[in-house]
Amino acid sequence: MTVPHTADVLVIGGGATGAGVLRDLARRGLRGLLVERGDYGTGTTGRYHGLLHSGGRYVQKDQLAARECITENRVLRRIAPASVEATGGYFVAAPDDPDDYVLAFADNCNASGVDCDEIRVADLLLKEPALNPRIRRAFRVPDGSIEPWQLIEATLADARLHGSEALSYQRVIGFEVQGGRIVAATLRNERDGTISRVWTKFVVSASGAWAGQIAALANVEVTMTPGKGTMLVYNQRMTDAVINRCHKSSDGDIMVPVHTVAILGTTDIKVPDPDDYDITREEVARLVSEGTKMFPDLPRMRILRAYAGVRPLYQPPADAAPGVGNRSISRAHAILDHGDQGVENFVSIVGGKLTTHRLMAEQTVDVVAAKLGITTPCTTADEVLPDQGGGHTYWLGHRLADHEADGGGDANLLCECELVTRKMVDGYLDRHWPCTIDDIRRGTRVGMGPCQGAFCTFRVAGLVAERLDAQTPSTGASAAGAPAAMGLEDPDGHQPGSGAAHAAIADRALTAFLRERFKGTKPIAQGRQLQELMMTNGIYVGVMGLDSMASAPAPAPTRDEELSDAAR
Amino acid sequence: MPHADVVVIGAGLAGLTAAARLAEAGAAVTLVAKGHASTHWGAGGIDVAQPDGARTPAEGVARLAALDAHPYAFLGGDVEPAVAWLTKHLAASGLPYVGTLETPIRRVPTAIGGTRRVAIVPDAQSAALAPWEPDEILVVAGPAGYKDFWPAAIADSLARESVWQGADRPTRVVGVAVELAGLASRNNLNALELARRFDDPALRADDLDRIARAVARVSGGRRGRVALPAVFGLDGHAETWAETRARLPLRPFEVPLVPPSIPGIRLWRALRGRIRAAGGRIEVGEMVARIEVEHGRVIAVEMEAATRSHRIRTDAVVLATGGIAGGGLVATGEGELVEPLLGLTVDAPAFDDWLLREALDPAGHPLEAAGVRTDHGLHPLDPATGRAALANVLVAGAMLAGQRALRERCGDGVAIASGWRAAQELLPDTTRTPVGQGPLATRIES
Amino acid sequence: MTIADIIREAALDPHVSSSADECLKCNVCNTVCPVLRVTDLFAGPKYEGPQAQRFRMAGGQQIQGPASTHVASPDHSVDYCSGCGWCTTACPAGVKIAEMNNQARGRLREGKRPKLRDWGLGQTDLTGSLGVAFSPLANFVMANGPIRALIEATIGIHRKAPVPKWAKRSFRSTWKRRGGETGASASLPGPDKAIVFFHGCAANYYEPHVAEAAVAVLKRNGFETIVPEQVCCGLPLISNGLYDEARERACTNTKVLAGYARAGYRIIGTSTSCTHTFKAEYEEMLDLHDDDTKVVAGATWDICEFLLDLHDQGRLDTGFGRLDEDLPYHAPCQLRSHGIGLPALDLFALVPGLRATDMDHDCCGIAGTYGLKREKYDIAMKVGAPLFEKVKASGATTAACDSETCRWQIEVATGVRTRHPVEILFDAYAAGDAAR
Repeated sequence: MTVPHTADVLVIGGGATGAGVLRDLARRGLRGLLVERGDYGTGTTGRYHGLLHSGGRYVQKDQLAARECITENRVLRRIAPASVEATGGYFVAAPDDPDDYVLAFADNCNASGVDCDEIRVADLLLKEPALNPRIRRAFRVPDGSIEPWQLIEATLADARLHGSEALSYQRVIGFEVQGGRIVAATLRNERDGTISRVWTKFVVSASGAWAGQIAALANVEVTMTPGKGTMLVYNQRMTDAVINRCHKSSDGDIMVPVHTVAILGTTDIKVPDPDDYDITREEVARLVSEGTKMFPDLPRMRILRAYAGVRPLYQPPADAAPGVGNRSISRAHAILDHGDQGVENFVSIVGGKLTTHRLMAEQTVDVVAAKLGITTPCTTADEVLPDQGGGHTYWLGHRLADHEADGGGDANLLCECELVTRKMVDGYLDRHWPCTIDDIRRGTRVGMGPCQGAFCTFRVAGLVAERLDAQTPSTGASAAGAPAAMGLEDPDGHQPGSGAAHAAIADRALTAFLRERFKGTKPIAQGRQLQELMMTNGIYVGVMGLDSMASAPAPAPTRDEELSDAAR
Repeated sequence: MPHADVVVIGAGLAGLTAAARLAEAGAAVTLVAKGHASTHWGAGGIDVAQPDGARTPAEGVARLAALDAHPYAFLGGDVEPAVAWLTKHLAASGLPYVGTLETPIRRVPTAIGGTRRVAIVPDAQSAALAPWEPDEILVVAGPAGYKDFWPAAIADSLARESVWQGADRPTRVVGVAVELAGLASRNNLNALELARRFDDPALRADDLDRIARAVARVSGGRRGRVALPAVFGLDGHAETWAETRARLPLRPFEVPLVPPSIPGIRLWRALRGRIRAAGGRIEVGEMVARIEVEHGRVIAVEMEAATRSHRIRTDAVVLATGGIAGGGLVATGEGELVEPLLGLTVDAPAFDDWLLREALDPAGHPLEAAGVRTDHGLHPLDPATGRAALANVLVAGAMLAGQRALRERCGDGVAIASGWRAAQELLPDTTRTPVGQGPLATRIES
Repeated sequence: MTIADIIREAALDPHVSSSADECLKCNVCNTVCPVLRVTDLFAGPKYEGPQAQRFRMAGGQQIQGPASTHVASPDHSVDYCSGCGWCTTACPAGVKIAEMNNQARGRLREGKRPKLRDWGLGQTDLTGSLGVAFSPLANFVMANGPIRALIEATIGIHRKAPVPKWAKRSFRSTWKRRGGETGASASLPGPDKAIVFFHGCAANYYEPHVAEAAVAVLKRNGFETIVPEQVCCGLPLISNGLYDEARERACTNTKVLAGYARAGYRIIGTSTSCTHTFKAEYEEMLDLHDDDTKVVAGATWDICEFLLDLHDQGRLDTGFGRLDEDLPYHAPCQLRSHGIGLPALDLFALVPGLRATDMDHDCCGIAGTYGLKREKYDIAMKVGAPLFEKVKASGATTAACDSETCRWQIEVATGVRTRHPVEILFDAYAAGDAAR
């Protein structure tokens, strides 16, 4: 779609927070426009461990954060049940965890309003037999896991229902500031390079770790200290509940079951640039070694990939007023009104976590609404998001049950590992075309299982090619633009709309996806996953001749491509 | 305890070749394998040596043999007789192969619309080898709704000059998806299901009729060939293929698919049949638990069993368990590459250099060349002494260090040549000194 | 502990469920599945095994979701797995696919009352003893077409399924009547002079001649037979999801047999299924890890495995006479799980004139009680069809197979008399004696 000329509020950043802000604005009658430089949820939102916090992780050092978490945890279960798996969670004291933390834990939970019961270790071991039998104490809390991409999609859908709009692959490259106000923003379409301009009354930057870069475009200083967190994806859920270590938060102390996998998080390493970081073997080793204190068999369990996200940690100026991030580096959120730096209609929302994104959005929009003289109250905590199915929370076996009900078998499975049927991919394409295979992955989990794309990538590429062919005659001129809009313009310069051009686009989509999957495998390449990789290379090069494809010898990736290399 | 003159471990091309040659020569050979891998994963052809720029496999072998570290540096001379011997046996099993080391290397279409370099292929793939005449078209035909073969997309891709990498090519490429009776309602639609369908003469007749009509329609009487997914029969492949050739208006060839490879299963079955017919034993599903070594020699191979282990006493072992892909070499999280059965020393690049930054870098990942170094008689070397680590163990196939099987397209040739050489080394009737001095040598001589 | 707990714990057995971690997704398992070969109702070992495994709950958490799908394992097609084990055999990565499917079938039945048929098929010792008690009547009933049709319609056992004939008298009662050793004697011969025989249900109620042949062949080789108290091994119960009952049987057996095993006696069976149950399934499927179970597992031998071992030690009496005949041999699926090769074929090779041929076919189809069931009978017959053709084409009048249900299946499907290998060896000794 084309970029509108005007918006009441321009929201920058298509993570959960930006989506939440857009929804809240829309529900209060403001016409928002959200722009995201890549696909939605490809920044920090799509690159965290998937935990729906109970607040338990904060009860010791930050009771306010804990309170916010438990409140929003309940809200999200109500408004976005389809994205939530009510796994429950446990804080477990490993043999060497310090007593003072453990002894105070239940009281701290109580003080913060986080539901917490101590349960007998023997009972927990019966439920979660993979846990370390030497665990000393165990506390049950209402942790859960949450699917970020589905959450964003539903949140944006609600915003659209209320008259706002969101555009992906649009990067803000400049602001026009007149008389201490941003009057317009310049956008660049990241796929075809088109430049456009949006006139706006207000700008909200929900760009997380990138907030400093956005603020700089308006000559405003925001100091972020991005913290890289690396996570490991295990092939199977060795636990059906979230398991946290009952100690002061550290590396490798949380395991979150998300869909078919379990995610071990995280490390915390300051990085100068949120777009430029590597995952090292040492980090992987440290995570496994810490995680082993919770699950003794962890070193023998299969890791599918590693990924990292950057925490949007905010570094307040030394002379900051109390209330605005009064810790040295805050994991709580802060709303920065840039009026004090001479730009009246610009706020940044920084810090925070996915669990509290709705609250952050509410507080941000409160500031915006006050400035714009809007008095409509916030309704985002009360209204259920669209597309929540029967209102049930997510259940691990549902795909298996659905597929069985559909007849079962492998005939229509494009992705066998994650049980993604052709119908599911077709449905996604109907809604999101044109898009990349990586976008399809975020929407369907295609390619996210043990084979990491070996058996499904060429199938999905075949479907993409078929769709390109199918749309050319029927939709004529507009179709010619679709490949370009996908960022998949034919590198060989075949005649647009020709079969050869479509083939070039399809094989570029295929190679891009395989390259992207490889990046997550490389830091953990060992055992079966390395064997899988070698087998995959044998299939694609040996049997399929991928090395002959025009676009296969990959050009050196640009930094943006590195970035959109995805999570999990 | 049962006794075998030689225990071959691994059911890939190297192990099968070694076992077939040994059995043929009268040795009591037992092949044990954990399961199936490389045969069932590959294209079913014989990639001897098709590095970039080589015109024939023979030339490819010569080039690779010139590299010090490459197995062909000492196996090069065995490739020709070994491949000739193997293809003779395959033909005798009703699975003829076309091509020799002197056959020009050609580019043939693949199932994603690319091309790959081949020279020696099963007969059913051979029609792709002939040079393309100026007026020839290529029809890509496959069952409608089959997710592993997309005729239109493949045709679109093959219509590009670039994928042929400068080789001659068809003047026009057309894709056609053919509706086969009752397929839409099948829950299990995969290569196996289709291959078994073609084994059924009645279903096959109707399917071939539909394919023939579709091909005739799109080819409009022009000359050319037709590319089909490699699913034309399993047990009944020979008859199926003869009928396919007779029925289609253009000359057909099969294009190999993602695993499980039907051409590869045919190859496994043919070789299994040869080994058994010659009195060899094959035990697939046997996980080797331990190899017993005494005074620098293997004396028995012990397999996992429900209770007490299943032991086979033996005079020699051919270790053909594969490289990393086949599971013969295992990488630990600490950056070690381990040969788990005998703890042989593995020659591997430094941990940080295992993989390149780019998945599909044409240079190929350095780790591909990792493996076990041997003397010229295929005995694994002890790096401390530079001598054979074990007197009666011979290493064959993908485990051999120094090959870049994907880039050089030499994996099958190395497997066959080393499997054959391992057998020759163990048999007393060669000019080389036999390693086995036990019952094997004396019994076969007498 | 409830069935659910047992199954849950079994599902967490690191050797089975976590072996899904080893899966490379390569589809090799599907290439060898006999059931997938003939029907669309089964989605194949890869789908049902390591693939579906990732969608099954790991621990014992409350399952979320709509009530209609409140099941631990929602993939009902796994019920069509016959449990033959070929998939596990072919896997290059060591995934215990068949075992995983077995556990999933157990979970399918979790918390549900078993079908009368499945319950009945599990009670082989009960049906066996009742059948023997009323054998003329029982055999008449089971040979009667209209009654079988009624049984098919009401209970679900296929009217043509191979049901064996009950013997007039059970092996045990004959043994006792003639004063055979039951372990009650004050002084038993030592473990180098005697073995403990586990006859199981088949040799006891249906084929006492197999047990008699085994006793004679063992005696010929210097081993007295002790037949202690025993009950069904429990495999039919396991196959039909009746884990609690199977566990009771298991404990009854191991309690008695462990004493012998500790004293150094070997426990020998003529049924490859019973012996495999002792060797592996008590631990793998029933999650029994006590000492009794382990010591019994370690002492259990299939009879041919035992005889071949004697031969390897040079202790087998090889005074076999000439048996000039063709003998098609089918190796049962269960035997492969033992991991002992094909000892019967090695023994046949010692018999002059005997031309034993491995039929080289994957599965006869019956898979214990699988092929008896109404909805699976056709599948079972299709699975075994190539074998039946080969056996018929051989022109032989006798075939051999180690497992009883396979023998019945082959015999009914081909009309060729099918015998246990030890019966053939018994004949060969007799022929040797006659020639002397």
